[in-house]
Parts: sequence; structure tokens; C-alpha cells
Amino acid sequence: MSAALDDVARVVCNSRGLTFGEKIGEGAFKKTYLVWTLEGEPWALKVVREECSVERTAREVDAMKKCSHPSIARLLDVSSVLCDGREYTFMLEEYMAGGTLAERIQDNLLSPDEAWAIGLQLIGAIEHIASRELVHRDLKPANIMFRRVWSDPVVVDFGLVRDLSKESVTHTWLTRGPGTPYFAGPEQLNNDKGLIDWRADQFALGVVISVCTLGMHPYECAGDSDADVVNRVATRERPGAAFLTQSRAIGLPVLAQMVGVWPAERYRTPAMLMEAWRDQR
Amino acid sequence: MASYHQMGHHSENLMREPNLQGFAGAILSPVNYSEEEIASQIESFRHRPYFDTVFDPQLYYPRSERGKLPTWGYFPSSVDSLDIQSDSWWRALVDRLVESCTRLRPDGVCSPAFVPRSFSDGYFSGMVKLCDYLVSGMEISQTRAIQTLLVNLPDLADPGRAMRIASIVTRTKASSVYLVIVSNSEPRREFWDVEELKGALKLIDSLEKSGLPVLVGFSSSDMVLWKFAGAASCATGKFFNLRRFTSSRFEEPSVGGTPMAYWFEESLMAFLRESDVIRVRQAGGLSEASIKNPYGQEILECIDNARGQAWIGLGWRQWMYAFADLEKRIGHNAIDVGQLLRHADEAWLALDDANILTEERQNNGAWVRAWRRAIIEYPAMR
Repeated sequence: MSAALDDVARVVCNSRGLTFGEKIGEGAFKKTYLVWTLEGEPWALKVVREECSVERTAREVDAMKKCSHPSIARLLDVSSVLCDGREYTFMLEEYMAGGTLAERIQDNLLSPDEAWAIGLQLIGAIEHIASRELVHRDLKPANIMFRRVWSDPVVVDFGLVRDLSKESVTHTWLTRGPGTPYFAGPEQLNNDKGLIDWRADQFALGVVISVCTLGMHPYECAGDSDADVVNRVATRERPGAAFLTQSRAIGLPVLAQMVGVWPAERYRTPAMLMEAWRDQR
Repeated sequence: MASYHQMGHHSENLMREPNLQGFAGAILSPVNYSEEEIASQIESFRHRPYFDTVFDPQLYYPRSERGKLPTWGYFPSSVDSLDIQSDSWWRALVDRLVESCTRLRPDGVCSPAFVPRSFSDGYFSGMVKLCDYLVSGMEISQTRAIQTLLVNLPDLADPGRAMRIASIVTRTKASSVYLVIVSNSEPRREFWDVEELKGALKLIDSLEKSGLPVLVGFSSSDMVLWKFAGAASCATGKFFNLRRFTSSRFEEPSVGGTPMAYWFEESLMAFLRESDVIRVRQAGGLSEASIKNPYGQEILECIDNARGQAWIGLGWRQWMYAFADLEKRIGHNAIDVGQLLRHADEAWLALDDANILTEERQNNGAWVRAWRRAIIEYPAMR
């Protein structure tokens, strides 16, 4: 019988001299808690579910250890704890007090200037991730958090990260690659591993900014369901006319190239993307 | 925007000709020259301002005709016995190539590349990694590393193939691409498959738009297509009025008669034999550019004087001059490729109407229509 993750979190807190706060998030592979250090500093404690593979956790931890950037969540510690005779992996990360980008846009979309400023910092993050030969593969509003309320965006959750310097470990028979389909590029949706590189993150970031600013997916046509949109991306249709017009109108024309159908149509290097993004203001 | 001279056997003499100074660079080949000879060529070019020397290590078919290649320090003695597709073998070769180029100091060096049995995604990824290794090896030198990209023209007929290749190759750490289009077309025959050409144009267009200038090597009159797609530069050699990049390009014909002299006629975008030149000229079909070509004038004098003088050498020069001249006019927007091909298409029809037929049955201008279709249709490709 496995222990409840809440109990595991309390065991971790007891063993580390931390004060248990509350549950703040839950995903398919992890549960996240707010905990406090003796000095009163808030940390995020992530307890990995038993069903999550050891490889997946190791990949996430390795990737986070490779990264050191102000717009990427800091991994403070990773270890395991025994609870009810079973071993649970846990991670301690910096706590993001500002909530997620998904929460930020629940009531109001980002203004073009806000989107530009957030985009600039997130491009810096994917530039750093790419320099480590990593691809995040799951950029989406829920995986972008703020250190303070609606400022200092930070990329979190490297659970689907791919290390390009290593052989792929995902199964070749998957018809859809890992990631959140709505934000994924064609190569990721088609599990076309040979084409996946940092430009897959560029595509996802382009979709994230479009959704958060224009309220639409770049490939969306009137009356489309989310599934229709994903299908348009997977079959390599072209971005919609409304998106192209509106992204230009709000002064963010770079978005159109970020969501190019083929990686070759997007910005070739992170530095080129950064320069083009800066030039919009 | 520039023309490069694809150096071949004894072609360094052409570089000194006053009327062939329209080339902005040279692709140097180790097949016909020793390292000492190439060093001497590079030194002589160094005195020319803004002249770009690019060394192509020529390992496309390392087990076939090699000329002087085996005398070069980087050429491996194990080429016939080992698995030449292993990474370590190629990396060791790059290390030796870096040593050679550090001594030679050309302005650029193309990454080594072989013609594979299958042009798979893995092959292209491997070639990019190899070039990245060369980039790091040449980092402290003044010589820039160039990504060599060999593509199989028939593969490009497959929709999406060009964009897949571009998506892989644009990962290169090099800042430009040396494109070699491999085909099984016969010597003296133009590329004519519309779908293949559309793929090639899409590939060039895509690489250029991603910020990687493309130098198309081993070009012939098809240069106008590559320029239309945005290729920064194209290279040709004296034999490229006759041959294409096929394995046989490196082999002299084992049988066959005397080489023929050819005239490049811009109004038809075709290579003509002497009797064709005479008849087209009589019909008033020679272009102004051909008539103004200084070597063209010499050829016409030979023909007019009826001395029976062979003009093969002049034919090479006429082609080289025409290539650089046409490339320059396209680059300066003095000529529109669409219009050029449209006029050529019309000129072939006019010849047919006048019952003027060329000596070679297949030299009928049919490719011009295919080229026109290719440049019209490729922008809509996905």
C-alpha cells in the first residue's frame, strides 16, 4: 500500500526541518506543496508519484541542474525519502509567489507591451535552455510562473525535457509525441524526433504569447475546436489570416515566424530570435 | 551576390585572362593539384582585392577517381578498408583537414561530405555535426568553415523533403552553405523535372531566408534558377557547359570521339554546336549578350573565316564569361529570370516555326518550359 503524497511531504518536512504549508499544485506525475524553511523562506516541495518513471525524473533533474538562468526555476535539492516502506523522490525548488501565466490571463489578456516584456525574458530562458542542448518540450501558460505578481516570468517543469546530446528515450511507436498538444509544433505532434530542437520551444512560446495576447491560437480558424486546431498544426496547414493580421496590428509580427510550419521557417538561432523580438519595440 | 570559378584541370590559366575577371572567388580542388600547387594558387589570389578562395576537400566519392587526392595529408590511407561512415573516422579526417587548411590559409573551407547510398535524415544530421566539428577546429584561424550540403535531386520531388532537409541543415554552426546538387542526369542534358526543380528552389529559398547564404557549386545554365530562388552565389567551371555533378563527372570518358565545342546561347538558355550557331545566327537569334561576349566574337570570327579551326577552348571561355556576366546582371536586377526564360521559350518556338532544328535531338528547349513552371510554382510549395 503506497502512502498518500501529502504524508510523504510531511515526512520530507520533518526530516529536513521544514514547515509544511499547503498543497499548491498537482500534475500527472507530481504533487507540489508550499513549505517553509527555518529562516522563513518559502520553497516548493515536489513529490514524485510512484508511477512516474525513474528515467523521467532523472532527466528532469539533470536538465534543471544544467540550467542557471534568472527565468528558469532553480532546483535547490533533490533526494528521496522512505515512507511506508517505499522510496519517493522529491525535489525542492524556489517558490514562485506570483502564480502562473494561465492564472494571469483568466480574466484579462496581456497587453501587447506586457506580452513583449514577458516574451523577452522567456526568449532569454529558451536561449539558455538551447545552449545546454536541451529542449523543454512543454512550454505552456501553466508551466510559466511569476516570482512576483505578474512580473519576473520563470519557466518551470522540465518533466518532458529532451537532451539532444543523448539518444531519445521516448517510444518510437507513439503517434503523438510528448507535450501538451495545443501548444506543440508539427514535429512534436508527429513525434518526428529528427526535427526536434530548440525551435520546438520557439514554436510553443509563439503559441503561448499569441493565446495570452490575442486570445487565439495562431492556426485557429473561426469555429475550430481545440482538436481542430491541433489537427491543423499536425497536418502542417498555415497560420490563420486573422492571427497574421492581428499579430502585426499589435506590433508583434515576429510571432508569425516563430510559429512557422517547419523549423527551417522559424528563427534559426536564439540570438536571431532575441534580436528580432527586441526590434519590435 | 557573386560568381565563383570551380577550378578544374589546368583552369588556373583562365583565371589570368583579362576578360574573365568577373569572378569574385574560386573553389579550389585537390583532385587536380598537389598541396604545393594549391598553396601557390592561394598566394596568387591573395593579391586580388576581395577575392574569395574556398577549398573543397572533394571527398564525394573517396573510393573512385581521386587524381592527386591521395597525395594530400588529410586523405586517409584506410579509405578502402574501413567503414567510412563511422564518426571517429570522419572526425580524424577533419583534424587532418584543419592542419592542411591552417597551412594553406584559404578564406573558406567546405566541410567534408560523401555521396551516400541513401540521403536520409540521419545522413544530413551527421554532415551537420561534422561541419560543426570543423567550425570548432577552424575557430582560431582566419578561414571560415562552410557547411557542405549534398542533395539528391530526385529526392526533392517528394513534397516536404526540401523543408525537412532545410530544417536539419539550418542547425549548422557554419555561417554559409555550399550546395551540391547530385543527380543522375546525363552530361549535356539540362535538369527538366519540374517537381525536382521546385524542391531544389524551395531548399535554396529556405536556407537563404534562414540567414544562411548559399553558394551553389557545379552549376551550369541552371544558375539562373538558383539565383531566382535567392542563392547568394553560384560556381561553374570550364567543363560545365558539358557535365553535371554525377559520379562520371570525375572520370574521363573511356570511349567516345573528340570533345565537341559548345556555344552558350542566352536567348535560348542552351548550349549549341557550331552548325546550330550558324543557323540561329542567320535567323537573327543570337542574343546581344552573346554577340558582345568577347570570346563569342572570336568564335564567330573563326566560323566566318571558315578555317575549320577548333574552338573548344574558346567555347569554355565563352561560357565562363557568359556565366559571370549573366549572374551579375541577375544580381543587379538588370535582368528578370522569369522574363529571360519566357523569351527563351518563345525563341525556341520561333526556331521551330522557322524549321531550324538543332543537331542534337534532345537539345530542343523543352527544359525551358519546365524551368518556367518551376519558378512560378515553387513558392506555393509547403
